Amino acid sequence: MGLVPWYDGRDGMYGWIWRHLPGNTWVKALISLALVVAVVYVLFQYVFPWAEPLLPFNDVTVDNQ
Amino acid sequence: MAATTDTEHEEHTGAAASRPSAARRRPGPIAMAVSVFGELLITAGLVLGLFVAYSLWWTNVVADRAAGKQADKVRDDWAHGRGGPGALDTKNGIGFLHVPAMKNGEVLVEKGTSNKILNDGVAGYYTDPVKAVLPMSGKTGNFSLAAHRDGHGAKFHNIDKIKKGDPIVFETKDKWYVYKVYDILPETSRFNVKVLSQVPKESGRKKPGHYITLTTCTPVYTSTYRYIVWGELERVEKVNADRTPPKELRS
Repeated sequence: MGLVPWYDGRDGMYGWIWRHLPGNTWVKALISLALVVAVVYVLFQYVFPWAEPLLPFNDVTVDNQ
Repeated sequence: MAATTDTEHEEHTGAAASRPSAARRRPGPIAMAVSVFGELLITAGLVLGLFVAYSLWWTNVVADRAAGKQADKVRDDWAHGRGGPGALDTKNGIGFLHVPAMKNGEVLVEKGTSNKILNDGVAGYYTDPVKAVLPMSGKTGNFSLAAHRDGHGAKFHNIDKIKKGDPIVFETKDKWYVYKVYDILPETSRFNVKVLSQVPKESGRKKPGHYITLTTCTPVYTSTYRYIVWGELERVEKVNADRTPPKELRS
């Protein structure tokens, strides 16, 4: 339908995810919440610790480099 | 949502109602692209917001936990007669830094200034590019330290609250080393390794002595420059049985 597989021309990727979750609205909401928590966990535990040294916000020492 | 069935139902009810809903269901490729782009922007915004929360809050939680654990271990070792200046067991930390002006209690001091060390919410003494001279060695030289300004415990966050004449106290197993701040460099290049010299000439001192140097980044939330505080040893007190702190820490 759309240009990209997760877009059917109406409500974007989040809408696509919502429509593909099983169950009624409450079940969908619960699963969505779990997904959000999982994403935040992965970001805090793996992605941000990896990205942080690459960003110039937290160097505190004087050095020659 | 349940919108799929709703709109389909609408289509059968009347031609007038079906027109706009049909148009909504088949937007042009540009509208689609804009919509996808918009969602990606929203996502990026949320991720950046989370990163700020991570940097300024979560890293402090993790670091304070780690620092507390390591500090307990050092205190425990001292209480049981392990470690200390004689053995120079530097693995778990060599002592505690007390700077009343920074109002952050005690800061554990460990060896090295790599991110791995400092991210545990401790202060590290330099081993590179200029090796720090530890106060318990008794030799003249510079006891140079670094710690984070923000995040990861932010142990030197309030370094700008330190004024000339303020005390810096370093506590080891059996001695209190009381330093007095005599010069501050509020902004210097991150490449200025001369501030770590055994005789830090930039502070105005020309003769060998027992110096202490605190370094961190400035301005807050960035790493553009370095903030330097210099102190000189005033006196050394023996730790008594109750570990009564020197008068500088009691007021």
